[in-house]
Formats: sequence, C-alpha cells, structure tokens
Amino acid sequence: MDNLIIAGREFNSRLLIGTGKFASCELMAEAIEKSGTEIVTVALRRVDIENEDDDMLSAIDRTKYLLLPNTSGARSADEAIRLGKLARAATGIKWLKLEVTPDPYYLLPDPVETLKAAEILVKDDFVVLPYINADPILAKKLEDVGTATVMPLASPIGSNQGLKTRASLEIIIEQANIPVVVDAGLGLPSHAADAMEIGADAVLVNTAIATATEPAEMATAFKLAVEAGRMAYETGLPSVSKRASASSPLTGFLREQ
Amino acid sequence: MEVLKINGVEKQFPAGIPQTLTELLEQLNINQATVVAEIDDKIIERQNFSQTRVSPGQSIELVRFVGGG
Repeated sequence: MDNLIIAGREFNSRLLIGTGKFASCELMAEAIEKSGTEIVTVALRRVDIENEDDDMLSAIDRTKYLLLPNTSGARSADEAIRLGKLARAATGIKWLKLEVTPDPYYLLPDPVETLKAAEILVKDDFVVLPYINADPILAKKLEDVGTATVMPLASPIGSNQGLKTRASLEIIIEQANIPVVVDAGLGLPSHAADAMEIGADAVLVNTAIATATEPAEMATAFKLAVEAGRMAYETGLPSVSKRASASSPLTGFLREQ
Repeated sequence: MEVLKINGVEKQFPAGIPQTLTELLEQLNINQATVVAEIDDKIIERQNFSQTRVSPGQSIELVRFVGGG
C-alpha cells in the first residue's frame, strides 16, 4: 500500500485516532497502539484548579505518535485561532485540527468561520487540517488558501451513522489535490472500509473505538478495515451490474442438453 | 484582599498573591510541565513562567491537553 503524505510528512497508517471518551488512559494507550495509528488528536481545556486531574499526555509516546491538537469548543474563527496558538505554545507543534462548531446539537462545522480561521492560521505557518461539512466548494476554497488536508464529516460527530454524505465525499475526493481525511460519524469498521474504498486518503475515528466494550479489539478491527478498504481502492473496484454473472462455468452440467 | 481571576473565577489570596507564574502554579498544586498559560489574553511561553510577574486583578487562563477527537 502507498504511504499517506500530509504536508510532506509520510505516514504508514491511514487511521487517525481521537483520544476522547476513553474510560482510562490505559485503555486509550492500548487502543492507540493496536490501531497502528501515527496521528492522535487531543483537545485543550481549562485546568480544574480545585481537583488535580490526570495528565493524559503522559500516556502518549510522543516519539511514536504525532500529536494533533484540535480547536474543539471554538464557536468562531477568533476562538479557534486563540486555541491554536495556545496549543502551539504548549507543544511546539504547528499541526492543528481546525474545528469551529457553534451548533451544540449536531456539532456541525461553521464553513464561513472555518475558512476565515484557516486563511489566518496558514499565513501564521500552521499546518491546518480543517474539519468541514462534506461541501466540495468549501473543500476547494480551503485547498486554495493552503490547508494541508480537508476533513469532511461522514455524519455528525459521535453519531456512528456511517457515510451519510457519500455523494459529496466522492466529489471532494475526485477534486482534491490534498489528502481527504473522512472524519466523524464512522461507527463501524465497515464504515471506515467504505470511506477508504471510495478513495479517502485516511479516516479519523474516536467514539466507535473509545466507547467499545474492548477498545483495543475495536481499534484492531478498524485498523484491518482501513487497510482492507485502501487495498481494494488501490487495486481497483469491480464494476456493478444489474444482472447476475455466473462465477462457476456455464458448461458441463449433469443434465440433458 | 488581593484577587486574581483564574479560569474565569475570582480567587482570593488572603496572604497576598504569589510573585510569579511558577509560584502561583506551585501554590495551586498544578504541574507546570503540562500547562499552558495566558495572562490578560497574552500567551506566556513555559520557559518564561518563572520570570513572569503576577499582579493583582489580572485574568489568568491555565489550560492543558485532554482527550479529544
């Protein structure tokens, strides 16, 4: 299989893992390892100054995994830029998953604010990976301002609905000259395989793995699904027909001619 | 009494506020290796925590990484 290249950096794995919702740091670390991922997302939040909380970063081996901070919680371009700068100050990493989600019910990304923030962050030397609705025009505009990828959603975050935006994802993939990472809503390994089969360069999965009864097992299942889907895509998908086409020979039957 | 606004909440320091950001974090029992700080909307680099003076009335944000997708 080909390697994934984002902003000139090469990755063997085409599965990105989100670190939210895990029951413990141990379960998270085990799932990350089993998934084979090389990129893990994290969020920035206020420290609870009354209660000492776990430092989850210590459970992530930064020599093995690229940390991809997100701007979750941002409702505007300004808030996202502020979070991006804080994340860069914290880690020295200039990679950023840009999310601007003002709508609390469906967590759908704001296209206008996302584009605005992306333009500013790219000029400020960030490697920007924007989370977007599956909008081909927006995807092109983001590519034009210099984002490293686009990350269109399959369905709302954490909804496990799979590829509800298939037709638009196919157009984005057809037109993009930057990697397309299908993000959000992939609830089953088959959803991830589906995204890879239609030509996505990578997928990002969090909820489906983190909330599984055995996160490490589910991480393995997603790893295999992503590899299977990619392999099928690279080999070339078969054509679809309405009528049957026999797999066994249509000659030599044990009956009268 | 001297007051700092920390993460949006006013916190009183009956014995006076700590002199530097490092001293503040120590007093709050926060591991400074994992924290990012903003004072009055300006980001403070971690290597500058110990030289950064804290003054009464300032608004301080202390954030750190958590799990997220």
